[in-house]
Amino acid sequence: MNDVMNFLLLLITDAWFAWVPAVGFAMVFNVPRKMLIFCAAGGALTHSFRFLLLHFGIPIEWATFIASANMGFLGLYWSRKHLIPRPVFTVASVIPMIPGSYAFTAMIGLVEINTSGYSLELMQIVMENGLRTLFILTALSFGLAIPSILIYRGRPIV
Amino acid sequence: MSLSKEQQTELTRVAVFAGQILHQHGAESRLIEQTTQRIGLALGAENIELSISPDAIVITSLVAGHCVTTTRRCYDRGINMQMVCDVQRICVMVEKQLLDAKEVKKRLQRLKPFKHNRWLVVLMIGFSCASFSHFFGGDRAAYWVTFVAASLAMILRQELAHRQHNPFVNFAAAAFVATTITSFGVIVEAGENPQIAMAASVLLLVPGFPLINAVSDMLKGHINMGIARWVFSTLLAISVSIGIVASMTLIGVSGWTS
Repeated sequence: MNDVMNFLLLLITDAWFAWVPAVGFAMVFNVPRKMLIFCAAGGALTHSFRFLLLHFGIPIEWATFIASANMGFLGLYWSRKHLIPRPVFTVASVIPMIPGSYAFTAMIGLVEINTSGYSLELMQIVMENGLRTLFILTALSFGLAIPSILIYRGRPIV
Repeated sequence: MSLSKEQQTELTRVAVFAGQILHQHGAESRLIEQTTQRIGLALGAENIELSISPDAIVITSLVAGHCVTTTRRCYDRGINMQMVCDVQRICVMVEKQLLDAKEVKKRLQRLKPFKHNRWLVVLMIGFSCASFSHFFGGDRAAYWVTFVAASLAMILRQELAHRQHNPFVNFAAAAFVATTITSFGVIVEAGENPQIAMAASVLLLVPGFPLINAVSDMLKGHINMGIARWVFSTLLAISVSIGIVASMTLIGVSGWTS
């Protein structure tokens, strides 16, 4: 019982910290003020859902894919309801899941290989982080595109 | 209903203007294509064909066997979802036959990019990067160091963008500033793991929107647009990492690959 409570607390903390970047980046993309609340809800739900999936041992790429596919369907519902293009909600909501840190580590590794010469460790850092970036990012975008790929297939959503 | 030559030219101009606005403010290619075609068809064209390339759009309208073709250059004006929303709303209104070509043109010309209050954005981006430091397992000291570094980097980014500096220079400079500030956090040993702040404070410079757009463009068949966006965001990421490495070499603190 205590374990469940602790886990719930972790989940809520995760959701709490996830809505901040979703809204922050939504403001950089100039999402209209009325829609920021949806970005906050989407960001919190998506990131905490991925946290839950990761907790059950699902690999990060698949967890990201499932979470962002969910966000795709949620965005579909909101966009039909408010007559607003889907990226307005969905992209800001998945921003907390973007593998930015992996991407920069891979790039910095490349720069270091140039300055200090080739070494297996550096190459391992570059390959592992680069591939992780690539796969997580593809999973993320593919998940968001699921509704328009599977259901709408070329017809406009709004 | 048959349209005169002038009406067809006007219709084409209106449709390409809508497409240009969408392109300049960072909409994905599928949305640009669909919205432009829908506006053109709703205003009475029989067919609208359009070709989107990374810096221009070409559009041809067909009415009663006559074609009108026009090209517009599309300079990047920064991602602005409010503009995309407004164009979409106009498109829906045209389809319901609430507006004619003249009215649509007037409304499109009246659109002004809405910007959030810049200090509010700085505050929210500071807290965003600080939240990322929490996700990486940082403690309270890392949280506040990240907040300060990311806010200052964001102010610099806004200032340079306002003066129309090259985005690559801008991102490298912002990464340099953020990493320099967080390096001092490492030097004075703020908290348990001050290296986390170094990783979190540059995340405001991740080109997330172009990356997601790139993959979804390629998925939906606009390979050339996808490649262009992908290359652009990769170059941005490389210039960020050059800014980080420059700062780490100068200060002598390493926090990424060791």
